[in-house]
Amino acid sequence: MGDLQFGQIIGYWPDLVDGILVTIKLSAVSVSLGLVLGLALALARYSGIPWLNWPAYAFIEFFRTTPPLVQIIWLYYGLPALVGGDLNAFWSAAVALGLNIAAFFAEIFRAGIAGIDRTQWQAARVLGLNLGDTLRFVILPQALRNVLPPTGTTVIYLVKGTALATAIGTPELLRVGQLISLETFRPVETLTIVAIAYFVLTYPIALAFQALERRFAVSRT
Amino acid sequence: MSAPQAQPLVVIDSVVKRYGAETVLDRVSLNVGAGQVMVVIGPSGSGKSTLLRCLAGLEPIQKGRILVEDVVVSKGTEEAGPPPDAAAAGRLRHEVGMVFQSFNLFPHLTVMDNITLAPRRVRGMGKDEAEALAVELLRRVGLEDKRGVHPARLSGGQQQRAAIARALAMRPRIMLFDEVTSALDPELVGEVLKTMRELAEQGMTMLVVTHEMGFARDVADNVVFMDRGAIVERAPPDRIFSEPAEARTRAFLERLLEREGGNRRVR
Ligand SMILES: Nc1ncnc2c1ncn2[C@@H]1O[C@H](COP(=O)(O)OP(=O)(O)OP(=O)(O)O)[C@@H](O)[C@H]1O
Ligand SMILES: [Mg+2]
Repeated sequence: MGDLQFGQIIGYWPDLVDGILVTIKLSAVSVSLGLVLGLALALARYSGIPWLNWPAYAFIEFFRTTPPLVQIIWLYYGLPALVGGDLNAFWSAAVALGLNIAAFFAEIFRAGIAGIDRTQWQAARVLGLNLGDTLRFVILPQALRNVLPPTGTTVIYLVKGTALATAIGTPELLRVGQLISLETFRPVETLTIVAIAYFVLTYPIALAFQALERRFAVSRT
Repeated sequence: MSAPQAQPLVVIDSVVKRYGAETVLDRVSLNVGAGQVMVVIGPSGSGKSTLLRCLAGLEPIQKGRILVEDVVVSKGTEEAGPPPDAAAAGRLRHEVGMVFQSFNLFPHLTVMDNITLAPRRVRGMGKDEAEALAVELLRRVGLEDKRGVHPARLSGGQQQRAAIARALAMRPRIMLFDEVTSALDPELVGEVLKTMRELAEQGMTMLVVTHEMGFARDVADNVVFMDRGAIVERAPPDRIFSEPAEARTRAFLERLLEREGGNRRVR
């Protein structure tokens, strides 16, 4: 075994940057989809209205309890086989990961909304606020503070989870790393650099969520 | 104090309210005239809060009707005929303001934003107009220096006064108070009652659930005694406190005075 040699890998930096950009895009799309859909699912669950609650419940449990890797592969190969058409590797992964993360966001948000005292809803109601305004100005801003920590953790988990898209050939960071190590026969060095890149991507997210938490904690006292 | 008995502002007509099999309001009828202050007393579980919550539109009722300014705002779900016109009912709901026992200001908003939120979103008031209104109301409840503060920084009494200002910002025709001083430290009760007295003096129609008999004696035009979901007796305070007509009323008042006993507060 020779020494670890990083110099050779660094030479591939343009490919690594491309991979990082795909990972960022993949994360951004699935987190956005997950946040919007997750909030809708949480509200559907919280409403208690059977025809909203039950489909939301089924969706959440299905996507929470099956492996995201399978969901990606199912969407990429399975859906076209079933309904025809074609999804490219990027969008299959983005949508599958978005649906998956939505299930986790939904449970986080539902708990956050349920944690707001009933009297807050009543106070808004007697002031004449409609449901939309009550959520927007009264309930969700308060729930936000409680859901920030688990939401941050879930976002970080998702960014790393985008590596699963390698399975269908999406050219994201891990995929690029694998190709480089096949060319250079230096998997340890390559994957170490890939891991550092994931850290560089996710640590600022952790810091950002900590900053948000501090901001919201201060603003209520 | 006497108030015009003209046409009632609020009509509660044979209202029945059930939770499951339990009948909480049993054909309750009550009129409140414009400018009247009505105090509701009664033992725990007699349905006082439920009555106010039905009036505020927080609870559906099973039978009977509730009218505000001659418009049906709530109608029994078991009554025949069409439901009340939602738009008109909604509009008149805004005429009913309510303050609760628990201080339920919005904790993430400043006192100012607590007060201006509903006028801006529901009444479509501009920011400047709403803030001018809030400043005026805060002066009325003695909190003009607290506009930029979050509720957590206020004492219980200040929070309740801010909650009163918030309700008043919707310019209600009637205000409902559900034991608003019960959760306060004794030394803070007076300032909230003073605010309520001033409101009554300014001619606000009020329905007040309270155990503060001093307030009832001085401010109420009528006192209603409720027991087990029904109105047992309704009379002006001097009469109900000195010579209650019903044995149940007398027993309740005696118990209450006994409990107040040694530590009766002077206001
Ligand atoms: N949401 C609810 N679900 C079921 N039962 C309820 C509900 N709210 C009130 N009740 C019942 O209705 C009855 C009347 O309650 P209510 O709160 O109106 O009494 P109250 O006169 O305000 O009592 P207190 O003086 O203790 O506040 C009680 O028996 C109570 O258990
Ligand atoms: Mg009560």
